[in-house]
Amino acid sequence: MLRLLFMTMLPLAASAVVRAADAQLMLPDFPALEAKANESVNVTLDSSLLAMAARFLDPNKPEDAAARQVIAGLTGIYVRSFTFDGDFAYPKEEVDAVRKQLSAPGWQRLVEVHSRKDHNDVDVYIRVDRNRANGLAIIASEPRQFTIVNIVGSIDLQKLHELEGHFGIPQLKLDERK
Amino acid sequence: MQTPRPLAATRRHFEGFAAHVSNDLENELRAALRHVDPAPGFASRVSARIDSERHRRWLPARFRWMPAALAAVVVLCLIAGYGWHWRREQQGLEARQQLLEALRLTGEKLDVAYRGVQDVSKSTASGNAGNT
Repeated sequence: MLRLLFMTMLPLAASAVVRAADAQLMLPDFPALEAKANESVNVTLDSSLLAMAARFLDPNKPEDAAARQVIAGLTGIYVRSFTFDGDFAYPKEEVDAVRKQLSAPGWQRLVEVHSRKDHNDVDVYIRVDRNRANGLAIIASEPRQFTIVNIVGSIDLQKLHELEGHFGIPQLKLDERK
Repeated sequence: MQTPRPLAATRRHFEGFAAHVSNDLENELRAALRHVDPAPGFASRVSARIDSERHRRWLPARFRWMPAALAAVVVLCLIAGYGWHWRREQQGLEARQQLLEALRLTGEKLDVAYRGVQDVSKSTASGNAGNT
């Protein structure tokens, strides 16, 4: 009986692990960008580091309290960001390798912004599984900054909406769009 | 009415009393401090008792290093525990800093996307107004 239960649960557990891992992108280290960048940010927070960070968030600080709410249900946050002194043409190969991962089933492009005026390209992707967002990816190319964000886990857009004013996120009007 | 005794008579009276008390005390002290021989086997019993106390209190010679080693282990454990706690705290603070930085960048990029969408909406709206 136990063996039968084990044999039934094992594929379910494995599929859950695979599903969570699917939302995690294989982000390269972008050595070419890092070599030329004036400032680079490389954030790799898996579930254990997120839990550790959460313990050091001060609930009395509004920024920390908002962060604590946002990371509830998340299993990973991965960021690569590079800032340059001058305008810089990014090597397309590595960025395309990341974009290719976002063409996999489950990922949907939520927003695509190409501003000729500001020369900003921002693509926001979301991964939906059973009507629930479990992954978010942002690829932002600006003349002097290149950023890739990958958030893994159960993403509550309402909580993201509640970040307004804490991390520079404007009023997203999510309620009005419904 | 009693007539006061002369001073010399009073002194003689007290000297006689003191001499009497002194003799009694001396006799009692002599009796108490008289030499008494110990019972037979007293010395061996004392030696045996000392030996048994010594064995009870101290570890055998080959284990005498153990208390010092135990104390050293406790001190090392305390130092290691404090070091682990300090490293853990530093890692936690660093993770917190990274988290806030990641959320700040995410917010910033969503802000750029939002402004881009707003600009497109405005230009579309103004284009429609111009056509009508």
